[in-house]
Amino acid sequence: MTMKKGFSMLTAAILLGVSMTACSAPPNTVHSVDDLNNKTIACQLGTTGYIFAGDVPGATVEGYNKGADAIQALTQGKADAVIIDSEPAKVFVSKNKKLTILDDPFAEEEYAIAYAKDNEELGQKLDEAITELKNDGTLDAITAHWIGDEADQVSYEAADIDRPNGQLVMATNAAFPPYESTAAGKVVGIDPDIMQAVCDKLGMELVIEDMEFDSIIAAVTTGKADVGVAGMSVTEDRLKNVSFSQGYATSTQVIVVRAD
Amino acid sequence: MDFLKEKLYDTFVVDDRWTYLTNGLKITLIVTFFAALLGIVLGFLTAIVRSTHARTHKLPILNAIAKLYLTVIRGTPVLVQLMIIYFVIFASFNVSKVFVAIMAFGLNSGAYVAEIVRSGIMSIDNGQFEAGASLGLNYPKTMIHIILPQAFRNILPALANEFIVLLKETSVAGNIALNDLTKGGDIIRSATYEAFLPLIAVALIYLAMVMILSKLVTLLERRLAKRDRG
Repeated sequence: MTMKKGFSMLTAAILLGVSMTACSAPPNTVHSVDDLNNKTIACQLGTTGYIFAGDVPGATVEGYNKGADAIQALTQGKADAVIIDSEPAKVFVSKNKKLTILDDPFAEEEYAIAYAKDNEELGQKLDEAITELKNDGTLDAITAHWIGDEADQVSYEAADIDRPNGQLVMATNAAFPPYESTAAGKVVGIDPDIMQAVCDKLGMELVIEDMEFDSIIAAVTTGKADVGVAGMSVTEDRLKNVSFSQGYATSTQVIVVRAD
Repeated sequence: MDFLKEKLYDTFVVDDRWTYLTNGLKITLIVTFFAALLGIVLGFLTAIVRSTHARTHKLPILNAIAKLYLTVIRGTPVLVQLMIIYFVIFASFNVSKVFVAIMAFGLNSGAYVAEIVRSGIMSIDNGQFEAGASLGLNYPKTMIHIILPQAFRNILPALANEFIVLLKETSVAGNIALNDLTKGGDIIRSATYEAFLPLIAVALIYLAMVMILSKLVTLLERRLAKRDRG
């Protein structure tokens, strides 16, 4: 009897919650970069978007642990805009019709692989591998698979080779599609595919560690991971603590707002 | 030595980064204080309903609600509860994050306080209820004047333990982008990419707060014991 009552109350509470979720958020007030002043901007903590948002005059910057949570806050009217990398922004907007991306790009940047400062040997190998992958078209093929209409879940097949050179541990934050996300319990996306291709060149076995974005650099500096690959752009602050390979992709920071 | 000095400067002084910790500490204290108050109120009410029902079989509906509350709150992690309150229950309201955190941690703590208080009430001999009745006190008066004061002294250590847990549990509030003490450390970490100093500083501040809290409880315990003897 009490169990039944309990369940019906729980169901009622959930239904109430769901119906409230459907209510509309306030209308959009951000139409250009200048409108960001004095607004509430949601970002993912530790990303370049978060750093840029900090420079917007009078803005309140909210750092969520995941990009998806920042988007959620925007959808619900808890924030006025989200500054995030363009490719994940496209994925989020395609999944949520109530959101749109402003035409003004915020800043352009280049993604690269982070590795420990004293490990120049690894850095050199990474650079060589990326150059080879760029030249033989693998890099473009991987990117084309994940960005665009033909995107599917397996774009790059690991080569069937001996891996005598040990493991390469990659730290990432699998909440950043299409660069990395989790599907069927595995971390998939552009970055895992590129690193698999790099490991195929180096004869190493790829091991992926999924963690919070702001822990990745600490994982690399403390040797818990060999490389950090997470759609990470090169910034001066990051260069103080880690080294970066050559860039493997370019990206822009964009502003996501609620659609009018 | 110079190396450490530079790290300290970089972690705490540049851009006034230490203010992330002081502002975060303020938020953590506010959330903990009001959540503890809410937890005490909810906990005592729930415990009184539950033990009254056990003794007299009255209040069946309130008892069912109390049981449901305990089951749901103790059966789910506080982080999930926090996210549900922020993203589901207050989905379409731009509600203050501090308020959400107080609600979430208060509701959560209330369930644990309830069981602590109930164990305290149950520890009091049945004869005390009979003594109250023989003095002509009705049930509520017996509860307030005879049972609860004795129960309170018995449960004080467990209650203090609950509030120590609560203080530290608020560290997950950063998940709704509330800038509490832990999040303050995270923000510094994400700016300097240096894990050691911010984490140690945050840990030391929590440790200091818990030590102060324990000291205050010891003083209170001593005072209650003294009053008992006198």
